[in-house]
Amino acid sequence: MSYELNCMSTDTKNYDVIVCGAGHAGCEAALAAARMGARTLLLSGNLDTVAQMSCNPAIGGQAKGQIVREIDALGGEMAINTDLTGIQFRLLNESKGPAVQSPRAQCDKKAYQFRLKHTLELQVNLKLFQATVTGLIFDSGPGGVRKVTGVRTNLDLEFYGHTIVVTTGTFLRGLMHIGQNKNEGGRLGDFSAKTLSASFLEAGIELQRLKTGTPPRISGRSIDFSQMEIQRGDTSPTFFAFHDTRDSEPLFHVEHGSPCGEQRLGWTPGSDQVPCWLTHTTERTAQLVRDNLHLSAMYSGEIEGVGPRYCPSIEDKFVRFADKPRHILYLEPEGRATNEYYINGLSTSLPFPVQVEMVRSIPGLEKAELVRPAYAVEYDFAPPTQLLASLESKLVENLFFAGQINGTSGYEEAACQGLVAGVNATRKARGEAPLIIGRNEGYTGVLIDDLVTKGTTEPYRMFTSRAEHRLLFNHGSAELRLEHLARQFGLLSRGRLARIFAKRQRIENSIGFLESNRPRVGSGVGQGTWGDLLRRQQCSIAAVSSSEEILPSELSSLSIAERDEVLYRVTYAGYLARELRHVARLQEIEKVKISADFDFSLVKGLRAESMAKLKSVRPLSLGQASRISGVNPADISILLIYIETRRKKGR
Amino acid sequence: MTEQKPITEPTDTIVALATAPGTAALALIRASGGACRALAAEVFDIEIGSLQERRYRHSNYSALDRQILDDVVWCFSSGPRTFTGEDTLELSTHGNPLIVQRILADMLIRGCRSAEPGEFTRRAFLNGRMDLTQAEAVMDLIHAQSERALHAARRQLEGSLGLHLEGLIADLLGVLARIEVYIDFPDEDLPPEDRALVLATLVDVLRGTERLLATHRYGDMLRDGFKTVLLGVPNVGKSSLLNAMVGRDRAIVSPEPGTTRDFIEERVHLGPHLLRLIDTAGLNPTPGIIERLGMDKTIARLPEADIILWITDGTMPPPKPPSELLPYMNTGRILLVRNKADLAMDNPATGNSKEKRDLNTADPTLSVYVVSALTGMGLVDLQAAIIARADTLGAAFPGDDLIAINSRHADALSRAKSGLLAAQAGLLAERSAPSELVSSDVRMALDALGEVSGRIDNERMLDALFSTFCIGK
Repeated sequence: MSYELNCMSTDTKNYDVIVCGAGHAGCEAALAAARMGARTLLLSGNLDTVAQMSCNPAIGGQAKGQIVREIDALGGEMAINTDLTGIQFRLLNESKGPAVQSPRAQCDKKAYQFRLKHTLELQVNLKLFQATVTGLIFDSGPGGVRKVTGVRTNLDLEFYGHTIVVTTGTFLRGLMHIGQNKNEGGRLGDFSAKTLSASFLEAGIELQRLKTGTPPRISGRSIDFSQMEIQRGDTSPTFFAFHDTRDSEPLFHVEHGSPCGEQRLGWTPGSDQVPCWLTHTTERTAQLVRDNLHLSAMYSGEIEGVGPRYCPSIEDKFVRFADKPRHILYLEPEGRATNEYYINGLSTSLPFPVQVEMVRSIPGLEKAELVRPAYAVEYDFAPPTQLLASLESKLVENLFFAGQINGTSGYEEAACQGLVAGVNATRKARGEAPLIIGRNEGYTGVLIDDLVTKGTTEPYRMFTSRAEHRLLFNHGSAELRLEHLARQFGLLSRGRLARIFAKRQRIENSIGFLESNRPRVGSGVGQGTWGDLLRRQQCSIAAVSSSEEILPSELSSLSIAERDEVLYRVTYAGYLARELRHVARLQEIEKVKISADFDFSLVKGLRAESMAKLKSVRPLSLGQASRISGVNPADISILLIYIETRRKKGR
Repeated sequence: MTEQKPITEPTDTIVALATAPGTAALALIRASGGACRALAAEVFDIEIGSLQERRYRHSNYSALDRQILDDVVWCFSSGPRTFTGEDTLELSTHGNPLIVQRILADMLIRGCRSAEPGEFTRRAFLNGRMDLTQAEAVMDLIHAQSERALHAARRQLEGSLGLHLEGLIADLLGVLARIEVYIDFPDEDLPPEDRALVLATLVDVLRGTERLLATHRYGDMLRDGFKTVLLGVPNVGKSSLLNAMVGRDRAIVSPEPGTTRDFIEERVHLGPHLLRLIDTAGLNPTPGIIERLGMDKTIARLPEADIILWITDGTMPPPKPPSELLPYMNTGRILLVRNKADLAMDNPATGNSKEKRDLNTADPTLSVYVVSALTGMGLVDLQAAIIARADTLGAAFPGDDLIAINSRHADALSRAKSGLLAAQAGLLAERSAPSELVSSDVRMALDALGEVSGRIDNERMLDALFSTFCIGK
């Protein structure tokens, strides 16, 4: 890898990939493209808000934590950035099986941004520039817009690139509501991308409105923590990045740029954790909400966008679950060097004076000072069924979308899309086939497949229950699951790939050992192999980790992560085998690819309904086609035969 | 094109009934895929190495529980010189839908799966067993088959089957939502996990699934007649009675005991009902080796019998019920027939009331009929009693509610049932199974129900979840 920034042309016409927006999607897109060697430009309306956590200061959680580990396995930045700037780490669902355990971290909001911005600054092949994208430059033909060639900015500068990745977040015609008060902008204190929507409409891309919201921030000095329950981090933190296989080369990651990254942060990752605090709403809170419901932007008809069901405003909670007397609230610290606290659970669009009264009705917050109001924000998104599975627009060639513009919600959901879009924008610029992650390979695959195949009507958040092969997606296996893709698409260094390969070998050999060797008799262990013994005891992994003698001494050299993986695969062998059989059965059609320009109307025998659906979704694999509602197995058979016939004739 | 590997996974073995469903002389079951060789070796109990190809053989099909389901003629052929280009196993069974269903169910339990419409043809094409010019015809064929299947399925789902199924699916989605919410929202302020409610609903769904499955048997009864087993020690005249009721010589009638060693089946209409009379080998208290085999088969048929005609020799003193019959005493299923009334005229042991009293203490529902197969004496009364019994059975069918599901549905429902049973076991285990495993079993059941009703999208579970629980910190 070269350390010189010489490949970057100083003119504005010569990029491989231009990324618009430097949020969680944009940062990953730009880094992925640049790390693959593409000449990349990252444009942001404000370089001081790169990788900002607009809502709560936390990364991970159910399903999202697994996604972050997948991002690390694909060479992305979110995992390592969280590990180095996290101020509280918890593993969720520790009492359940490994497949549904998820790491979660509170982050120092500013440290997170600074470190990621510095990473971008040091990244070879990547240029950052502050400008607001106001429109797209199209190459139009007689039939209308065909492909995108560049972007226009508010500085009247134009930038040209092979491919464009658009990550607008909530900024596309963003409109904020606080009661009857309205402000244009994608985030409090920020601007709104007002004109870019017109470019999409010009190209025939349909836009719709979504809504999300955020709670008030309060001053920590005004909080009476003695009335609250403390929630501390785990004593041994679960990190997101795979530190056992990661590179230590300088510049590959910014933390190695200084003699010791931790010194610059001011703390050692995982140490000196900061607690969260639990409190709850009261009858007075409920009364205030009920009395002022007509003033809420949500309930007075001011907002047309659809909000998420899993993240309702406090108004929604008291209206839809009127019999629930109180709702739990978490106070999350926004960082080490700030006294701001985020009130998780109190998202609202009530007028500011009501917000103040409401906050002060909460135990421990009687004297709370609000430093930022809660608000709802409405924004444009482009229904993602208009995308191919590569995240490229079906309507405009070379145009890729990632993050909230695709109707998702969440930093992690945005980041993994950004990474895939960045990879595929680079691949497209080179005329290479896109990266498409299978539904059996990771949450990232499930997320993108759901979006482009089924679309969404509310801000889409990942749940583990959305993944039919969830049992295969334990967070510790992300690297093993995605290794082949990282290798094929050149997303990780050779050194790291070799270390992952060796890790896999150790795990597989250990499983082989456990399944073919018997424990010494006489210790009351009964019949069978080590594997049988472990399954019979139904050892919970946690219990085993703390008592090492349960495993034979031959496996004592395994790392804790490796041992956890071995134990998971052995104790859950029956269920995992069933899952793998299920996957194998689906692979028959999953591995049959359909080209992006395939003409479904040439396939005779398809039912009219199926034909219409297929033409609209334009699936890139037969497996994806089979998941379109209304397309039945017979249609898939017919399609398969047609494709095979064409392939054979083509020889 | 020799480098082209079959596109199908070697382990993915499909199975289907190749002949038309319903009662016929023979039924052809066909399996295709990598598991056929092992399957043949297992069900016919043959060393896998000594399995001969392309040879027709006659063997007993033994199910996973070692029960013999039928004697079948079968042939194993290894790919690629087969219709599909894969290893293929074909079985000709007796054309009884119940036998077919049981064999199919057994093959599914052993890891095969039901073929989709046109899937054999599709595999044949993909494995290069068909000419390219035939491709269009194949597509038309699949199209036609699926239209028929769709039409049939739609008609069925419009009726009460669809209604019942929807109820089960809605309940099961509720169960799943109650499990999933504690997995996906661990930090939420949720009410304590109510596993008792989950278990209770799960058991309700399980019962509902079993009820639907049972209608498969109602369907059998309606199509094939009430199974009526003729049972008794050798030489009491079972075959003569069968012939008398059918009206012609069907069973070989011989004065030598133990002549009828296999089943003889005959369908007769009695009043409004169709009966399937099954004549079995006699129940000999001290059987020879060959007879033993026949008797085992007889006993095996008893659980599925709707009516048991226990035939005794009227010239002999009243017998004690054989031990095999004891489980069916007091079920109202047994009719005691005292045959050879013509010879018993001068026998003091015949027809006296003491005999009836003795037997009635064993089974108050037992009625006694004195008949002569030879002269036809008492046959009318016996027939009337059988009709009455069939009336009772028929009344057990809920009139409007009659759902007769087909074999494909029954396969899917059986898999749903096993998923539900596994989930139930997980919930009941001393250290109850982790939620994600219980969920995995429930999902297996839901997927199986979805094969009958149409695919069930996960969005419906989320709808149930968000409408039941207040989520959102």
